Amino acid sequence: MIKITALEKIYRTEEVETISLNKISFEVKQGEFLAVMGPSGCGKSTLLNILGLLDDPDAGSFLFNGVEVAHLKERQRASIRKNNIGFVFQSFNLIDELTVFENVELPLIYLGIKTDERKKRVERVLDKVQIMHRRGHYPQQLSGGQQQRVAVARAVVNNPKLILADEPTGNLDSNNGNEVMEMLSDLNEQGTTIIMVTHSEHDARYSHRILRMLDGQTVTQNILAEKNYEHFSLTQ
Amino acid sequence: MFKNFLKVAFRNLLRSKGFSFINIAGLAVGMASAILIFLWIQNEKSYDQFHANRDRIYEVWNRAKFDAKRWAWNTTPKVLARTLEKDLPEIERAVRVNWQSELLFSIGEKRLMKKGNMVDSGFLQVFSFPLLQSNPATALNDLHSIVVTEKLARSLFGTEEAMGKVIKIDNKDNFTVTGILKDLPNNTRFDFEYLIPWAYLRSIGNDDDNWGNNSTRTYVMLKPNATYASIEPKIKVLKQKYEEEARKDNWQMFIYPMSRWRLHSSFNNGYEDNGGRIVFVKLFGTIAAFILLIACINFMNLSTARSEKRAKEVGIRKVVGAQKASLISQFIGESVLLAFIAAIFAVGIVLLSLPSYNQLTDKKLFINFASIGTWLTGIGFIFFTGVLAGSYPAFFLSSFQPVKVLKGSFKKINALITPRKILVVVQFTFAIILIICTIIVKQQIDYARDRETGYNKDNLIYHHFTGDIGKNYNLIKNELIAGGIATSIVKTSAPITQSWSDGWGQEWEGKDPNDKTDFYRITADEGLGNTIGLQFVVGRDFDLQKFPADSTAMIINESALKVMKFKQPIGQLIKDNDIKWHVVGVFKDFILTNPYEPTRPMLINGAKNNWFQTMQIKLNGNNSTAQNLQKAATIFKKYNPEYPFDYKFIDAEYAQKFENEQRQGTLAALFAGLTIFISCLGLFGLASYMAENRIKEIGIRKVLGASVTGLTALLSKDFVRLVIISFVIASPLSYWGMYKWLQDYTYQVSIHWWVFAGAALLSVLIAIFTVSYQAIKAAMSNPVKSLRTE
Repeated sequence: MIKITALEKIYRTEEVETISLNKISFEVKQGEFLAVMGPSGCGKSTLLNILGLLDDPDAGSFLFNGVEVAHLKERQRASIRKNNIGFVFQSFNLIDELTVFENVELPLIYLGIKTDERKKRVERVLDKVQIMHRRGHYPQQLSGGQQQRVAVARAVVNNPKLILADEPTGNLDSNNGNEVMEMLSDLNEQGTTIIMVTHSEHDARYSHRILRMLDGQTVTQNILAEKNYEHFSLTQ
Repeated sequence: MFKNFLKVAFRNLLRSKGFSFINIAGLAVGMASAILIFLWIQNEKSYDQFHANRDRIYEVWNRAKFDAKRWAWNTTPKVLARTLEKDLPEIERAVRVNWQSELLFSIGEKRLMKKGNMVDSGFLQVFSFPLLQSNPATALNDLHSIVVTEKLARSLFGTEEAMGKVIKIDNKDNFTVTGILKDLPNNTRFDFEYLIPWAYLRSIGNDDDNWGNNSTRTYVMLKPNATYASIEPKIKVLKQKYEEEARKDNWQMFIYPMSRWRLHSSFNNGYEDNGGRIVFVKLFGTIAAFILLIACINFMNLSTARSEKRAKEVGIRKVVGAQKASLISQFIGESVLLAFIAAIFAVGIVLLSLPSYNQLTDKKLFINFASIGTWLTGIGFIFFTGVLAGSYPAFFLSSFQPVKVLKGSFKKINALITPRKILVVVQFTFAIILIICTIIVKQQIDYARDRETGYNKDNLIYHHFTGDIGKNYNLIKNELIAGGIATSIVKTSAPITQSWSDGWGQEWEGKDPNDKTDFYRITADEGLGNTIGLQFVVGRDFDLQKFPADSTAMIINESALKVMKFKQPIGQLIKDNDIKWHVVGVFKDFILTNPYEPTRPMLINGAKNNWFQTMQIKLNGNNSTAQNLQKAATIFKKYNPEYPFDYKFIDAEYAQKFENEQRQGTLAALFAGLTIFISCLGLFGLASYMAENRIKEIGIRKVLGASVTGLTALLSKDFVRLVIISFVIASPLSYWGMYKWLQDYTYQVSIHWWVFAGAALLSVLIAIFTVSYQAIKAAMSNPVKSLRTE
């Protein structure tokens, strides 16, 4: 599903040049659950941003289901993003001015889905993450665990093929953290590909494979489970 | 999607109440100012545009050379109108409008003084003043017909039918009401409550065929197919055809289109000079645009300053698939919504302030809610304001990179020059320009007002010769003096605050034959010096008791003496109007007309030509003015029973000469105040965000030992620097503008450096005052708290 070859990303300031990704290459199959680990500054988040089409690599190739997406225009990236990718962040990133329901509804609005259909789909997913009873609340009225469940709901509401999670339990206590991991695990079992950046060995154990990074390169790969991954096509 | 935008917009407004208040208040005040100015401009531009034949109506003007200078003016011979109709086939109608006259209207016991015009009977066919009753073509056909406005009809007859009623006018002739006019709109050059046919004027001997007597205004309406070009060469030489003097002077005539009357009729050397009221229309338009821009700048600055608050939202929306265009339209939509809310308040402000604004501008402006055009303009205005205010923030916010804003690595720019700083400088530059202009306009008014008038205005009143005053003048004068009401009285041809007559062509010994100096002319009987307090340099005042020959005497001012170059003025003969006047005195110049202009040569001749129109009365200073006036009223009632005692104070009349400048000064001050208010609102908002953003820095500095004063200074410094930069830009601009403005005045104040210093100090103080509240609040906050919040 994802094939990355010799990907490079360099950050430059006036005096310093930091190589964030140093010709990194790997593949992710459809239906896989990949954990990316490594110390701070090793390039995990940069990698995730490029995978999420939020950032451009400086060099190398990024095939998303066989289509080269490394240097697309913002408009094209936005289009692929909203159709194929869901995001879960460490700091939840919900819009404070919108209620739980409205936050989850947002991706569907940008997809141009009609109101009735939106309502159905949002309710279904809120039910799934067990937050339906708080649908009218604002993010700041919820606990961290609840907020992250809303964030997960928002990430999956448009049935993405890929979920990118950036330390999804980083701001949660262990109980809430486990709940979120279970949720991601369930999604994966239902066929969603997940790439998760984490510091937590405990969380990484939910994945099938751990990619360890150091100084912008992959160091080792631990395979935790073997699976037969199916093929899917990229919707643009 | 729109609903979602609207929801977010409203919740954002409610969440950041301070921000919303500053934006809405600023925009509302800005929009209200723009609307008020727009109403004024609209009124100015609509002057006399309601006449159905406006494209065919022209006023006849003269152009001729005197004293090496070419002049253009619009008083014409009475004989011109019918000559035009006779000689030029292109002209459909030519009508005369004489000077406005104030006449006494009597109905039974009711007495009213009313202003109106005597006009040719075709007047109502040329100009479209709607007649509620009667026919424009015939309403003024009878010698003793009169057309009155609804308002005058009401005050004369109340609710009774006015048509066909008889009114006694000036205590002489009876006139029958033959038409009722709708009250005149507030955008016409005409100002009358009644119209009387010119035929009446002719019947009382006030018409003549003299081509040399330029004493009325003449308007023409061209035939529908006639062109200006076809008439121009014919009318140019028309006067020369009939008068030899005009041929000698190459005196030309031209027709001046109605569309130019109000805004463009400013002439220099005989031709339009791009001056006139259009200058004010442009100036006010610019000011309106700037005030609106300044209010929009607040929105731009505050929106971008608090962009961190919205950055996350932008990031998330982009992550879930929003395109930049959809974010731009979302943010512009928000500013349009804000502009819409502000517009509601703006209309409220406008409605509340219209009465005083109308007083200030001397107009009757109103918002025409019944017109669809008003609503369309309003919607357009809201969109314009919203887009003007919202586009920069929209592009700024929507260009955020989600990677940066969501990871918290989003940093605000702290460059030397940022758009925000530039915008603050724009605001304050404009505010400082207005402050400087306000001060200089006020100085100029004070300067002219403090100028020595050359006579004593105290306790001085005048009264026109209405009704029987002329006949009973001596009786009235004697009783006023004997009763101790007045100390001195003189009858004159005009009030001493106005020029009613001037002319050239006088003869005296040693005159240069090419001299065409124009002299002001007044007629007086005796005691002028005592009554108005003239100072004589040589000789004496008129005194008919001691010197009966003084009826052919003349007194002249110093400027006239300079022109005539008499070594020994007393006894010199000056021939004017076929009378030889002998000079008995020379007095110091006094201001007759424009206090901003140098005094001009003036000749005051004795009672011989017997042309008296007013009496000037020096009230007895030992009594209270109220007592004097009460007693005087009784005497006037006795000798002039049909007319009201309608006196005027000379000092009040003199003060009116400053009305225009006073108005300009007040408007400049008002606009300056509004600009400062809006700019300071914005500065206050910026300061509060700055304090919020630097709370950690302030905490650390305090822990390290910084004082509250030191911190306040630190936080205020940046803003003060911007105000100082604004001052540096504003100073030369306002100097240049005021220098140009002052060129219109011969008597002008000089521009002093301390005006600029004062304006700089004032603006810096205002800025410090605005910012320091937030700065002090931030500086006094507990560092433990602020550091913990990080």
